[in-house]
Amino acid sequence: METLEQIKASLETSVPGVKLEIIPNESPSGQRSLLVDNAHGVAVAKFLRDDPQLRLDYCSNVTGVDWLDTVLKEKVKAKQLVEGVEKEVEQQIETKRAGYLEAVYHLYSMALKHGPVIIRLRTENRSDKNHLPSLTPVWRGAEFQEREIFDLYGVIFDGHPDLRRILMWDGYVDHPMRKDYVEPDDYDYEPTPHDEVLEKVKQRQPAEAKP
Amino acid sequence: MPMDEGLRSELSKQGIFTTQLSDLYNWGRKNSVWPLQFGLACCAIEMIATTMARYDLARFGAEVFRPSPRQADLMIVAGTVTKKMAPQVVRLYNQMPEPKYVIAMGACAISGGPFKQGYNVLKGIDRFIPVDVHIPGCPPRPEALIHAFMTLQNKIDAQKLTGPGRPRHLDPDAPSEFPVPQFGEHDLVPPNNPALWQAPKLVRTE
Amino acid sequence: MVEYNPYLLITVFLVAAILFSVAPLLMAYLWAKRFSPAKPGPDKNAIYECGLESKGDARMQFRSEYYLYGIIFLIFDVETIFLLPFAVAFTGLPASAFVAMLVFLLLLVEGLVWAWRKGILTWS
Repeated sequence: METLEQIKASLETSVPGVKLEIIPNESPSGQRSLLVDNAHGVAVAKFLRDDPQLRLDYCSNVTGVDWLDTVLKEKVKAKQLVEGVEKEVEQQIETKRAGYLEAVYHLYSMALKHGPVIIRLRTENRSDKNHLPSLTPVWRGAEFQEREIFDLYGVIFDGHPDLRRILMWDGYVDHPMRKDYVEPDDYDYEPTPHDEVLEKVKQRQPAEAKP
Repeated sequence: MPMDEGLRSELSKQGIFTTQLSDLYNWGRKNSVWPLQFGLACCAIEMIATTMARYDLARFGAEVFRPSPRQADLMIVAGTVTKKMAPQVVRLYNQMPEPKYVIAMGACAISGGPFKQGYNVLKGIDRFIPVDVHIPGCPPRPEALIHAFMTLQNKIDAQKLTGPGRPRHLDPDAPSEFPVPQFGEHDLVPPNNPALWQAPKLVRTE
Repeated sequence: MVEYNPYLLITVFLVAAILFSVAPLLMAYLWAKRFSPAKPGPDKNAIYECGLESKGDARMQFRSEYYLYGIIFLIFDVETIFLLPFAVAFTGLPASAFVAMLVFLLLLVEGLVWAWRKGILTWS
């Protein structure tokens, strides 16, 4: 199979105007992924499916990820004058990164028996601009999994044929897998050693006066 | 009329068996408890194993799993009750004719189990329907289900036909149906049936 | 001695049979009246017994194309009824019977081809 760099290069020539970025992965698996911009998501997916070298005809898995607003800390070595002597000093640069929701697609090829190629789509933010292009018209198997991401993360997939909640009921308003989800307060009776749960129980049932 | 226990044993030694109407009634009922055939999660596999030849629930008169709530006496809640499934379980219970019993099988059915703090699992089916026997375990072994079944049989055997201590199905004022929870915006509405379930008072010593 | 009536036995059987069938029902009725009260309710009296609430009407209209499908299916159903005895007795039959059966099949296939060409088999 072609490397991710080769796939990126061939995508850039065949899909004009596409913005791609290789996301590194420092975990032992080392599976890097390709970040695709939303405007060209469907075109990229079609290319990956139809290209005779790749033929990624099987979308095995679609995952949602919720990234909160974070502050990235980066250590940079800079030269500075300290007491008249030029020294190398480590500086911390803090950059704020707005949160976003992400859909990760794992693609395999049944015809050529290779894979996975992982592509990512990111929304602009977590609240109002939460639209992504649906890849269900390209891989039919993504239908239920995109519905699940819609249900649990609140990502709206444009072009999805049947975007309804799949696990929770229709009148439900929350998105439970989001990191800022607040569960309903029914901690009436929790015989549990978990501290945070015990704290919630204590709030509901304050300790009575000692006998 | 209750009979003297000594007289009864003396008579049975002579080959004369005496009984009460309630004893006959309970004996008939406890040996023909037909469970409702439904399973919700992995506990259902153990329930199926219990009915099969190795453990053989048929020895206790419960071999017929009825596919319709109209013909069932016992509801074995075998598995995780999700919040989306809870109204259906309660409605099925309501559709069973009296007398009806419930065995909550496994950690999930009695308390939510490993999914208790999750967003989509009911924290025990006893919040909505009256449970007669709870079985802990994840999942409980078939022997545990058989034990629960025998416990239920003992419970049926001790029931009285009349008087204030009579069971629910003989009491014209006791409810037969329990309110079915509705799907709310964040949770089931109501999250529990206060007539059936109240949070136990925690006594802390700190 | 009472004269033996051949209908007496039947009458006795009849009365016993009626008693045997009615007595448990009567006992159950009396038992319920004395001990266990009837408790109807909206859920218990519901028609659909799957845990879900029934939605809409149980009566629904089929599309007319369905009946065309049904008629074509019926033709092949009848064909099977004819073919099976033919196949069972096949070894003892003259060659003319085989030809007659072929003609019969051909007529049916012709009808199917006609229906196919008319576009009945495409569900729109």
